[in-house]
Amino acid sequence: MNFKVFCATIKKGIQIRIRAYPVSFMVGCILTSFYTILGSYLMYHYFFLGQLSESFELNARTTDYMSYAIVGSLMYQFIVRTCLNVSRTLITELREGTLESLMLAPFKRTSYFLGNMTMQTVLTIGETAVAAVIGIAFGFRISDFNLYHFIVAISLSLYGFFGLSLMLGCVMLYTRDTYISQNTLFAIIFLVCGITFPKEALPYCLQLFGNVIPVTDAVTLMRASLLGGLTDSEFLYLGLQEFILGTIYIVAGMPLMKHVEHIALEQMEG
Amino acid sequence: MIEVQNLQKIYNVKRRQSFFKSYKESIEAVKDISMKIEAGQIVGLLGINGAGKTTTIKMLTTLIEPTSGTYSFDGINAIENPSFVKNKINMIAGGERMIYWRLTAYENLWYYGQLYGIDNNTLKNRIESLLQMVGLEDKANLPVETFSKGMKQRLQIARGMINDPKYIFLDEPTIGLDAVVTKELHDEIRKLSKVREKGILLTSHYLAEVEELCDYIYLVNKGELVVEGTKKDLTEYVYNRKQYCFSVQGMDENIIMRLHNYLISLDIDVEIVQQDDRAIITSKFELSSALAQFAIKENLIIKELYEIEPSLEQAVIKLSQQICREAESIA
Ligand SMILES: Nc1ncnc2c1ncn2[C@@H]1O[C@H](COP(=O)(O)OP(=O)(O)O)[C@@H](O)[C@H]1O
Ligand SMILES: [Mg+2]
Repeated sequence: MNFKVFCATIKKGIQIRIRAYPVSFMVGCILTSFYTILGSYLMYHYFFLGQLSESFELNARTTDYMSYAIVGSLMYQFIVRTCLNVSRTLITELREGTLESLMLAPFKRTSYFLGNMTMQTVLTIGETAVAAVIGIAFGFRISDFNLYHFIVAISLSLYGFFGLSLMLGCVMLYTRDTYISQNTLFAIIFLVCGITFPKEALPYCLQLFGNVIPVTDAVTLMRASLLGGLTDSEFLYLGLQEFILGTIYIVAGMPLMKHVEHIALEQMEG
Repeated sequence: MIEVQNLQKIYNVKRRQSFFKSYKESIEAVKDISMKIEAGQIVGLLGINGAGKTTTIKMLTTLIEPTSGTYSFDGINAIENPSFVKNKINMIAGGERMIYWRLTAYENLWYYGQLYGIDNNTLKNRIESLLQMVGLEDKANLPVETFSKGMKQRLQIARGMINDPKYIFLDEPTIGLDAVVTKELHDEIRKLSKVREKGILLTSHYLAEVEELCDYIYLVNKGELVVEGTKKDLTEYVYNRKQYCFSVQGMDENIIMRLHNYLISLDIDVEIVQQDDRAIITSKFELSSALAQFAIKENLIIKELYEIEPSLEQAVIKLSQQICREAESIA
């Protein structure tokens, strides 16, 4: 870990972000939050209202569907914004012509990625907080808050999302695509990771698929820390699972990223 | 000292034929290049577009690995120690890449300085002196987006100096710049080498640029060295050199030897190479009538006698002169 690179990357990210679109940045942030909440509200009123079955209550561990969906949506917004921007960093450097000058410097990539992740997390936490406040107007209630669980849930989520961003970043840099890969991933996450409905409602094979994405457990953990519904041992078990999954993604992602960087530099003409 | 030997680079590329079909292709961008760069020296790599200059520079900067060949950097195997090399080199490319447009000049240099782990006080002083060196001290806090091409290029030079490198690689640094800015840049480059003792490798497709700046020149074409030498060597090579193909019935080594003895009285530096039953003669002088006389005197029947068209390498040079002239007429 190189602290200089870490801090400088955070600073650079914020400078670029703010200089690029200060107004649209703020407006965009608030609008995204609003739409996210509105989405879960509409989903609730037009699809689920009065039709929540016993099996939902059993799997969701709560009867407050609105809060259930809002926590899911907030997490989803958080993943989309974080993953998206973190995985895009290298391909953005490539497109803006700074990848080579970056790679000319003999620094450790981990600090660079962690810097970007931290910068993005700080920005997204701000956005998510705004969204949470909007959510309250739509009926979001924190019914069973547990601070320790919350801290564990946040840390493990970030850990898992970092791994996921690395992987997505590899795919993006390798395919030189930022559109198809990211949107496919986000659609899959929305479908199989228990964002607005319990994943148990899905066919078994899709559930398995959801289990290997380090988002499913993160969402469940976060929900439990805000709305309750999990015993301590269940929480611990899921937490461990999320930690292992995140570790696998990071351990595989770092060398893979190095390899993909290599390929990207080889493919660069001129 | 930087020394590379028999550098080769093959790119393996996948080409898409249709949506479903793709095929693999190998492109030998650099076939065989050997060169040396010493501190305080400006070395030129001259060649037309596609000659393999950028690929060579990328190998020297360890951005890509050579397919084969050796690379010794101050006595250390550079291919196995890229971090060691990276600390002591930097690269400046033509065009407007390699700097963040959304950051200011100062912020750019500061960020790159952090990547090299330079301590903050040293960095602050270095940035100030670099900005002064490239004449951007009063533009330090403006975003790069607002800069002209020449200003961006000068900022890139400052960026390329941020880690106080021992060797600097310049890949067509004056491309797209007008004559006045080009001249300023040439002065900067010369200062880097003569005042600051940097070893510099400069690529260009302008003969005039290389001639003006470089102490030693390598001419490359299709990934191979064609000729190398000082400016004087190269000028002689290009301007005062004729080649003849001469062949007679019953050509053998004996005849070649007698031919050599005969021609050496006309040109002491004459070179004769035997290729099958032909002699390829290289000389500064017009020798066709002398060759004919030699055949008559020796009673030989001439099969072939002609002046060889300016060879590929000469074509390269002619072309680069032409490009240069065009560039001057635009500027
Ligand atoms: N990344 C790459 N992948 C495949 N072919 C490449 C790549 N880079 C360069 N080439 C090819 O290699 C040759 C040499 O290119 P380059 O080194 O860029 O030449 P120059 O800098 O002298 O113009 C060209 O034919 C070019 O098309
Ligand atoms: Mg080039």
